[in-house]
Amino acid sequence: MALLEARALTVSLDLAGQSIQVLRKVNFALAEGRVLGIVGESGAGKSMIARTIAQMLPRGFRVSGGSLDFDGESLVGISNARRRDLLGAEIAFVPQEPLTALNPVLTIGQQFGEHLARLGLARALCGARAIELLDAVHLRSPATLLSQYPHQLSGGMCQRVLIAMAFAGQPKLVVADEPTTALDVIVQARIMRIMLEMTKRHRTAVIFITHDLRLATHVCDDIMVLYAGVPVEIGPAKQVFGAPRHPYTRCLQLTTPSLSAARRELIALPDRMPDLAEFGRITGCRFAPRCPLRQPRCDAEEPPLVEVAPGHRSACLFPERTGTFIQEPPIVTGLAAASASDRDAILRIEGLSKKFRRQRRFWRRAHDDVVAVHDVSFELYPREFVGIVGESGSGKTTIGRLSVGLDEPTAGRIMLAGRDVTDVHNAKSRAHRVATIQMIFQDPQSALNPRRRVVRIVTQAMEAGDRHAPWSERTARAQDLLAEIGMPSDAAERYPAQLSGGQRQRVNIARALCSVPKLLVADEIVSGLDVSVQAQLLNLLLRLKRERQIAVLFISHDLSVVRYLCDRVLVLYRGAVVESGPTEAVFAQPRHDYTKALLAAVPPDDLTQRWAALAASGQDAGLAL
Amino acid sequence: MSDVVRVLGQRFIAAVPILLVVSMLLFAVLRMIPVDPLALSVPPNATIEEIDKIRHDMGFDRPIAVQYVVWLQNTVHLDFGRSIQHRDSVAGLIAETLPATIELALFAIVIASALGLAGGLYLFHLRGRPGEVVADLASTAIMSLPEFLWGLLFILLFGVALDWLPFIGRLSPAFSRPVHSGFLLIDALIDRRFDIFFDALKHMILPAFALGLSFSPPIMRVLRSSLHDVYAEDYIQQARLRGIGEWRILVRHATKNAILPTLTLMGVQFSFLFGGTLLIEVIYSYPGMGNLMVEAVRNADLPVTQAVGLVYCIAVLFINAVVDAIYLVLNPKLRRR
Amino acid sequence: MARFFASPGAGRVLTSPHVIAGGLIVAAVFLCALFAPWLAPHDPEDQNLIVRLLPPAWMAGGDPAYLFGTDGLGRCVLSRLLYGARVASYVAIVASFGAMLLGGVLAHIAGYFGGRTDWLIGRMVDVLMSFPPVILSLILITALGVGVNKVALAIVLVDWTRFYRVLRSEVLTVVQRDYVAAARLLGYSSSQIIWREVLPATTPLLITLLSLEMGIAVVVETILSFIGLSVEANVSAWGVMIADARNYVHQTAWNLVLPILAVFLTVLGFNLLGDGLRRTLDPRLALRVGR
Repeated sequence: MALLEARALTVSLDLAGQSIQVLRKVNFALAEGRVLGIVGESGAGKSMIARTIAQMLPRGFRVSGGSLDFDGESLVGISNARRRDLLGAEIAFVPQEPLTALNPVLTIGQQFGEHLARLGLARALCGARAIELLDAVHLRSPATLLSQYPHQLSGGMCQRVLIAMAFAGQPKLVVADEPTTALDVIVQARIMRIMLEMTKRHRTAVIFITHDLRLATHVCDDIMVLYAGVPVEIGPAKQVFGAPRHPYTRCLQLTTPSLSAARRELIALPDRMPDLAEFGRITGCRFAPRCPLRQPRCDAEEPPLVEVAPGHRSACLFPERTGTFIQEPPIVTGLAAASASDRDAILRIEGLSKKFRRQRRFWRRAHDDVVAVHDVSFELYPREFVGIVGESGSGKTTIGRLSVGLDEPTAGRIMLAGRDVTDVHNAKSRAHRVATIQMIFQDPQSALNPRRRVVRIVTQAMEAGDRHAPWSERTARAQDLLAEIGMPSDAAERYPAQLSGGQRQRVNIARALCSVPKLLVADEIVSGLDVSVQAQLLNLLLRLKRERQIAVLFISHDLSVVRYLCDRVLVLYRGAVVESGPTEAVFAQPRHDYTKALLAAVPPDDLTQRWAALAASGQDAGLAL
Repeated sequence: MSDVVRVLGQRFIAAVPILLVVSMLLFAVLRMIPVDPLALSVPPNATIEEIDKIRHDMGFDRPIAVQYVVWLQNTVHLDFGRSIQHRDSVAGLIAETLPATIELALFAIVIASALGLAGGLYLFHLRGRPGEVVADLASTAIMSLPEFLWGLLFILLFGVALDWLPFIGRLSPAFSRPVHSGFLLIDALIDRRFDIFFDALKHMILPAFALGLSFSPPIMRVLRSSLHDVYAEDYIQQARLRGIGEWRILVRHATKNAILPTLTLMGVQFSFLFGGTLLIEVIYSYPGMGNLMVEAVRNADLPVTQAVGLVYCIAVLFINAVVDAIYLVLNPKLRRR
Repeated sequence: MARFFASPGAGRVLTSPHVIAGGLIVAAVFLCALFAPWLAPHDPEDQNLIVRLLPPAWMAGGDPAYLFGTDGLGRCVLSRLLYGARVASYVAIVASFGAMLLGGVLAHIAGYFGGRTDWLIGRMVDVLMSFPPVILSLILITALGVGVNKVALAIVLVDWTRFYRVLRSEVLTVVQRDYVAAARLLGYSSSQIIWREVLPATTPLLITLLSLEMGIAVVVETILSFIGLSVEANVSAWGVMIADARNYVHQTAWNLVLPILAVFLTVLGFNLLGDGLRRTLDPRLALRVGR
């Protein structure tokens, strides 16, 4: 019998008099000891499933149909007391953001102790048991850890504590909602290994929610792909990945850049997944508006979830077409090498260093400085895309900010188009910078002034001083820019709040392009965006490269994205460049241990490789990470 | 513990330059008074020579900077000079009146904290319900009347109309004041005179309540607002997912976090409260430092004004330091391990 | 500034019950102040010892000519209340704008440039804020002398620190946002950035604080006139009325209650207005409280 079983589970939201189905006819059966992956983009409803299991739906949402049974008991309509009994004990959760998931004013020991006491352990024994459990997740010196506060731990350490707490009650089911998304790549791999280890040891059933299809394939036994609240494909992981039977699943694969396979053009699905307000208006297949295999029947009929192979179901009217019609896209030819005539580097960095002063008491010495960037040197040529990869704290953002002039270097030289611009206070340097280099910021939320309309944001460069242009000129230019970045002309009158994340990023790019710079610094501009939106932006950048001949310094932690986009790459570790060179060469044959560890931490395309074990085997043993 | 000592030490050191500047400011500002400080304390038929002599004796004929230095030297030796009006030592006057003000202020602080914290929790408890609007309006209304008007209203209601509580002075005329520390409640207990104790308490209720009530609404609001903020945090949701009940979440997890910004506000409110004792004392004819100050200001008694102003500042700095220390104890992020 | 009113948040402001209620009360007070010479039935300083201590007209012994009764010197309470509104309104407007300008300008400069300027102003503010406001106002007013303008000045000098502290935090938050960095990258000067990017973001808070400050100014003025250090002897102010009425509290409590009520309603109006503004202009709060 299945441990957790959903039958036609439907969750609705009452919005403005309408009842919108945010989860529609979800079916799955999870047996003891199995791992089920729920894959989808943001807004697909994956977290809603987790909340339904916990019976903690936000206000206005309710289960309007179907059933959800845990160990034979219906979770829907369960009493509060029974729910509290189950939560933490038989059903446990692992959260997405480990650093904020623990109470900042209580010690680890206090929170763990409270949890263990709730599970029925005598107070006196809680300490020892907590140490045991922390040891099981490979945390060093667990006894000290108990008296520490969450802010003293790193993200990875916090997540291990949370995993330990989740498994403390030997639960039958663990729901992990994007447990590694907020962590660095290498830490991600470690955490996944720990989770799998615990799962096997306790024979726990796991629901693993993620947006990363490849990761899910390596980790899960079965996968369910969710789109706009509807399960579109469900089946054994290797089958779903190896021979997908739904166009969306296939498109997901083709939208995600790969690290080792041939470098193919990404399919960018148009628009984006419909949001809640639009659910009600769609008849027929919810994916149809974006589907490359769309037929008139698809808009009228809602495809049922039918079995296309043993244990493998798909909600498509034409499942067999997925394999035959959606072929691999063409290979992207030749990463542009710096052509011989472009001898002069646009950006030349020599011996760049940056130290940050920690808050000092006046009796302490200067040794307390944090070294963010240490002796970094590189060049960037016209029409070149150079990537800087590293984990958080590696200094990549600092390098970006130093290049643009937002921070002042402690040592080193920055040459922009032949001119020395190291001194940020020099007016001529500043003017030269303004004309040559621009930055695209990471967070679309804070990068656009919420009080300005799009037209005024993108033409901000033409606003004041000697570059002041009349309004008519500005509106015309805004329209040109919007067309170039692929947005409709009526977007000019909107406020940032009315745009989606992907659209905001485009406006970001448009603003940077307005002053016709020669070089763009893109700081993590696609992280946090859905894969389809990400693909759109990456293709946009490639198009800009062809049409405008612009150079880009692309900062990212995502190796696959860098490989897709960049001609050369610099690998940064703790503020220093450990390896650099043409992207293909570096990624195919890494020389430095850190680069190797980074590459090993990314789930490979090849399913025959036992990735989880690979990452665990200690490729990182040589480094003090 | 060492962190607390460190913070208090830092505050102490930082307070010195502040107090220096404060005293200089006071000195300079008070010299700007259009009234001749001597005019009120000199007999009307004094001759010019006599006036000049008195002026010289009091040191008013020297340049300001010198006067200040002299004052500073004396202050360090705890000699605050002599009151022009009373001819008594200023230090003595302060020693007589300060304990009364402190007693009143402490009582009011306790009331303000109790009302503020309880009110805040209650407001938060009412969230989403119709009662919230009423409670909210009530807190705005309380805040719209300054402390001295509350004081007057209390006198009208409880003192005059209902005649439940006394509203003049510290003690009924029938009793004689026990004098040990200056703190009436403590002195009464030392002497084991419970009748005096209760009488003193009765006299303090109205003024302390007026003070405490008027300064509690901001505390209520900030606590409610902080609780809202905390409840939106991830770790509260995670606690629920571990099966922890709502009551325990409120008490053990949420309040400890929400109290921090509330504490900062409470520190500010209490400094205001200490200043508010001035008016309350005037209204209730309470023999504290406030009355001393008002009288001194009216009579242009500079030494007293100067010294009392300084004492008020010291009190504010002290309150801030204590609040900072408590904040440090409660907020682990600030500690250095 | 016009841009602020065109922005998406402005519409919500006008429909908030707090803003409407507060706004009406405040408008009423300002109107009374403005039209006092026409509304008042008598000259507020006109003493008539024959009719002293009359209760309000609706009580036994009252006189319809003196609607709210008379005080200890036979002056009409209603007229004095209306003229008192003048003093209160004048001080409220002048003092709060003054404090806002002084505190606001310094907050933006300190918050944007940081460094030594920030440190220096911060120390100054520390010194000033180590005085309880009542004490500081008292001391300043004794030095400045008597008169409505001096009172307003004293309030500005005491309360600008409050504006400074709150606005500075807000400025610091805004300055860290990427769109300010983007403006710097486009080559704009600091003053341009402060004016075009930072100020529109801090304006909502500014307006809220302004409204609350008006209430505070009225209270301080009342306190000072209560002690007798505010207006000249022949000007009526609510605090003076309260001080006088204390002596006759056993004969007619109305003399005390009415000016207290006037202060209460005025400050309540400003508080409701400020509260409503804060809820509608701060997007996080608006979502949460649901208004």
